[in-house]
Amino acid sequence: MKTNTMSYKCRQFLMFAGVTTAVFVAVVIVPFLYGIYLTLTSWDGVSKQKPFVGLANYVATFSDGAYWQAMGRTFLYSVIAVILVNVVAFILAFLVTSGVKGQNFFRAGFFTPNLIGGIVLGYIWKFVFNRAFVALGNTFSVGALSTSWLATTGGAMLCLIIVSVWQYAGYMMLIYVAGFMSVSEDVLEAARIDGCTDSQSIVYVSVPLMASSFVQCLFLTVTRCFMVYDVNLSLTNGEPFNSSVMAAMHVYNQAFTYKNFGVGQAEALVLFVVCAVVGVLQVYIGKKGEVSA
Amino acid sequence: MKKKLLAVTLAAAMTVSLTACGSSGTAGGGAAAGGVSITIFNSKIEVQAQFEEMAKEYSEATGVNVEVYYSNDTVAAHLATKYSSNDPYTLSMVDAKDVYSLAEDHAADLTGEKWVEKTNYAISIGDRVVGFPVCVEARGLIYNADAIEAVTGEKFNPEDYATLDAFQGLLEKLAAGGMETPTGIMKEDWSLAGHFLSEIYEMQDDVDGFITALHGGTADLANNAKWNGKMDYFDTMMKYNYAAASAIAAEREVSEQKLAEGEIAFMFGGNWDWSMINAYDHSDNMGIMPVPENTSDGTNKKLVGGGSKYFFIDSSENTSDEQRQAAKDFLNWLVFDEAGNSFLTEKCALVPAYSNIAAAGLDPLSVSVKSYADAGNLIDNYNYLPDDHFSLCGAAFQKYLAGQTDRAGLASEIEKYWSSTTPVEH
Repeated sequence: MKTNTMSYKCRQFLMFAGVTTAVFVAVVIVPFLYGIYLTLTSWDGVSKQKPFVGLANYVATFSDGAYWQAMGRTFLYSVIAVILVNVVAFILAFLVTSGVKGQNFFRAGFFTPNLIGGIVLGYIWKFVFNRAFVALGNTFSVGALSTSWLATTGGAMLCLIIVSVWQYAGYMMLIYVAGFMSVSEDVLEAARIDGCTDSQSIVYVSVPLMASSFVQCLFLTVTRCFMVYDVNLSLTNGEPFNSSVMAAMHVYNQAFTYKNFGVGQAEALVLFVVCAVVGVLQVYIGKKGEVSA
Repeated sequence: MKKKLLAVTLAAAMTVSLTACGSSGTAGGGAAAGGVSITIFNSKIEVQAQFEEMAKEYSEATGVNVEVYYSNDTVAAHLATKYSSNDPYTLSMVDAKDVYSLAEDHAADLTGEKWVEKTNYAISIGDRVVGFPVCVEARGLIYNADAIEAVTGEKFNPEDYATLDAFQGLLEKLAAGGMETPTGIMKEDWSLAGHFLSEIYEMQDDVDGFITALHGGTADLANNAKWNGKMDYFDTMMKYNYAAASAIAAEREVSEQKLAEGEIAFMFGGNWDWSMINAYDHSDNMGIMPVPENTSDGTNKKLVGGGSKYFFIDSSENTSDEQRQAAKDFLNWLVFDEAGNSFLTEKCALVPAYSNIAAAGLDPLSVSVKSYADAGNLIDNYNYLPDDHFSLCGAAFQKYLAGQTDRAGLASEIEKYWSSTTPVEH
């Protein structure tokens, strides 16, 4: 049988990837294109007519102050959360690969928060911030804890960051653990023989060799932080005074609560583009830094 | 060859199992071919269990198969999904504002139905009646009379406290008598702006004119008597708020519990709050009174409210005429059948919107609402607030509650909101 004809290749493709491609087109590509079409209409979400309005929704998007405020807030939140998640995850990964007693137990323990859904997590932490911390603060008269952090604008953002770090650090830790394990013992031994101290061998040997872990972790955290919605909804719901509304929540409100479907859709598309650019850029830069042993 | 045979057999088996799923699905849908089958969308979570139970009984009694659904998504968002997938509910229960946005395209004409003349709250668009009011709900100041009487030692009579001066006197007395913080404030934006702030519009002499003036930027909120009267009341509530130190961190559950158990005596709300108060060790001697205000226009003797939650019947071709008729029969059953009446008032504890239904066994808050409604002392809801009003004005109001802005600042933020918003057509 000839294996280099077009029809053979097509059949091979359809056999292995046909179903998934069809599903992917049906649930991702088609809705995406339809979504782009909706940005050109002033549809309210339920009406039968979808009046065509051209680029008016994009004009509205760019003049929607609250949207860009939410975007800026999301940037700030993402930068801080991404750095903290990865620093914490890296430290945890280092600790649970350094041979401490019961390290498998610790690995499972740190990973557990990630198994709890974002909504539930938000409600649990809301209780902790609103009741547990306040009760502690009042009992031991700690001024900073005596009122709920969720009631202040800066505090609400801080709470979101703390919860995100707690949620994602365990997951990213697993990827870093895999990175640490993939660094071959020979290389580390060679480094030790050459006189590397422990910290030097981490900085100059382990870290460069596990650059792909960093790329993956950063990509995952950046995209997740940018699209954060569930924790935002259950922990703060935008409060106080809509000062903790992230970009995704603003898009949802715009489309479904305020019933400006077209504008909401356009804002979602802009958010997608921003995310895609940041994500691709970060992977591109990260890949350049990868080395192979 | 053997392998190929195995592969084909496996593939065939999978296809069969897939088709099996598909066909059993259709069988489920067609099973009701004997009788008509209708679907009901319920948007009141607190009566979902009652609706499901009623659906079973109704099906047995009438042969019409009824299925009840609930979604905790926003009503409009959920129905949008159903409509775009061409799978609408026969009957949908929605808020008044949703009727206005959905009815034109999607609601069947209910003009001439028997129940229309039994209610003052049906919604008509143009000359078509489209919305069937499910119940009456009203907003006001919820009080716990047991808690008040325990401190003052006198019988609490809400009519005595229609003016703010009298109300302040009572609060002082309560504070002096040991209940230092007798009030609670819900910090939720829908309560602050959607329920309380809107009273300021609804109590104007000419509501539509006032809203138009707000849109045009000519309504001078800061010098508006109603605004100042209501904000004086709000300031009083803030002064005696149990959570004054962190008012915008107060959780609704905690406030409702304190009110139910008599730790505080007053909180602004509506008769729907009973479903939460009910969950705690509550006093039965509670009720709703008008918001106190130093005024002589009579609004301090009335609650604000009216029909709440409306059924409309789908008019699209996805619903057959038999289904529409069955849905109409169901609405008549609610209003004219004894079982329907008892379902509404006794099982769901809703204040009926129909003059022929005698309501017994209502909860204390609903009893208050019904007495005001029966006496004609309800100020109408204004159903044409823009969709983002509660959220954006609510945020401004939360700032005021947190002490981050003053009355003038709040007034100018609200004026700014209105002048930059397109009017809702109605």
